[in-house]
Amino acid sequence: MSDYAKPLPILTDENRPFWEACRNGRLSLQTCSGCAHVRYPISRFCPQCLSAEFEWSEMSGRATVFSYIVFHRAYHAGFRQDVPYNVALVQLEEGPRMFSNVVGVPNDQVHIGDPVEVVFDPVTPEVTIPRFRPISQ
Amino acid sequence: MHPLRDTCAIVGVGASAQGKVPGSSAISLSVEAFKRALDDSGLRKEEIDGLLTLPGQTSAEGALNYLRLGETLGIDPRFTGTMNMGGATPGVMLQHAVLAVNAGMAKNVAFVFGDAAATGGGKYDRAQGWGDSSSIWGYMSAAANSAITAARHMAVYGTTSRQLGEIAVACRYHASLNPDAVMRTPITVEDHQASRWVVEPLHLLDCCLVSDGGVCVIVSSAERARDLKQKPVLISGMGQAYTTQNLGREDWWYAPHQRTSVLDAYAMAGVGPRDIDVVQLYDNFTISVMLWLEHAGFCKPGEAGPFCEGGRIQLGGELPVNTAGGNLSESYMEGCLHIVEAVRQLRGQCGPRQVRDAEVSLVTGRGQALNCANALVLRKG
Ligand SMILES: [Zn+2]
Repeated sequence: MSDYAKPLPILTDENRPFWEACRNGRLSLQTCSGCAHVRYPISRFCPQCLSAEFEWSEMSGRATVFSYIVFHRAYHAGFRQDVPYNVALVQLEEGPRMFSNVVGVPNDQVHIGDPVEVVFDPVTPEVTIPRFRPISQ
Repeated sequence: MHPLRDTCAIVGVGASAQGKVPGSSAISLSVEAFKRALDDSGLRKEEIDGLLTLPGQTSAEGALNYLRLGETLGIDPRFTGTMNMGGATPGVMLQHAVLAVNAGMAKNVAFVFGDAAATGGGKYDRAQGWGDSSSIWGYMSAAANSAITAARHMAVYGTTSRQLGEIAVACRYHASLNPDAVMRTPITVEDHQASRWVVEPLHLLDCCLVSDGGVCVIVSSAERARDLKQKPVLISGMGQAYTTQNLGREDWWYAPHQRTSVLDAYAMAGVGPRDIDVVQLYDNFTISVMLWLEHAGFCKPGEAGPFCEGGRIQLGGELPVNTAGGNLSESYMEGCLHIVEAVRQLRGQCGPRQVRDAEVSLVTGRGQALNCANALVLRKG
């Protein structure tokens, strides 16, 4: 039994490949077989063309900080010890955006536009969470 | 000319006591507001045949709010329903009322909201998202979405926290002139800067209040309005638009649908930004006002920061914004009070905070994770 106290993804048949890939150190998203759109959030259907045909494809893991905020309040008990902690909206090289955290640097050292790359944080035996660290120039 | 322009009017507005109202429930505050709006309009309860509602965070019945409220009010309506688009709901429900009246489905429609969020335990802090929820990364609270917007607006356009502070200062100044407002002690930009961070780059004074209270707005045909107690306030223009794709759209943070909703309302009313005398812009957070100023064409995209400086948005300035204090300082009623204030300004009932010769007002609402937006152009009848 894990003592990890923060929200965890609810694993389903639809999202399990994403989280399995994370466990194996890969960031993998759905690419539409109909229109080649790379999508996130995870969905059975492509929001562009509604095709249900897709492949899981590995992302480069490189991204840019699109927006960036720092929580000085914990809205969930699991984050109480982390305050202040950051959340970044990152834009992947392949286009999609996702929420994540920038790790490995103080909160005030991160800026919008900074290049970052994915790192994998195993938090329970089942779940590994993708986060991002700055790419040193 | 748009066939629905000026076909309906707001004939009654009412609000309960606001702030902390111990011993009240969402329903009792709703009823209090309904009674005041009814009295304001001169209509009898039996004439209310439309009932549209927004449940409060503390309304346990949720989407069945219309039933609970109808039972409590003793009204068996011909047209009813509950909708929850957060702060976008009041404007949407008024637009539904206009459609129902024009379709002959109801004659007098009351929109009612009540909440005991301050004393009854609000849920604004709930985790959000579904499936692979963004709460996995600690992304939670209504403040988070607006913080994302503010941070990017600052990075892209050079907007500053002090400029956001100008909005908090203006709203508080207006609230100081409003005896019904909850927070009435004037503040300065320095006070804003010194207030603690909530979700950086938003300070505490960038955030709206959490309040108990109820609000009711009654819509009738413009023809019926002429025989009622108050000077009619005509609904000249309306618009709604939505961006449901949060992560899926690169410009989600900028709430592009807000512009669409305002342009539709302008077009229906046959007006533009230069015709607007006073605005009530939805302000769950200060940054929201900046987006509305840009999307409504009062300044260019990216220029709302400087626009808010120098008293321009205060009473006596070029464009008085949120003249009752807004969600930031009057009371957080999901934007219902923005409509009430617009009506009172156009009736000329605002005493020390009255905008002189106010004839046309823009009222905007927005809700959920920046997803929902709407606009109303109201005109003195
Ligand atoms: Zn597709």
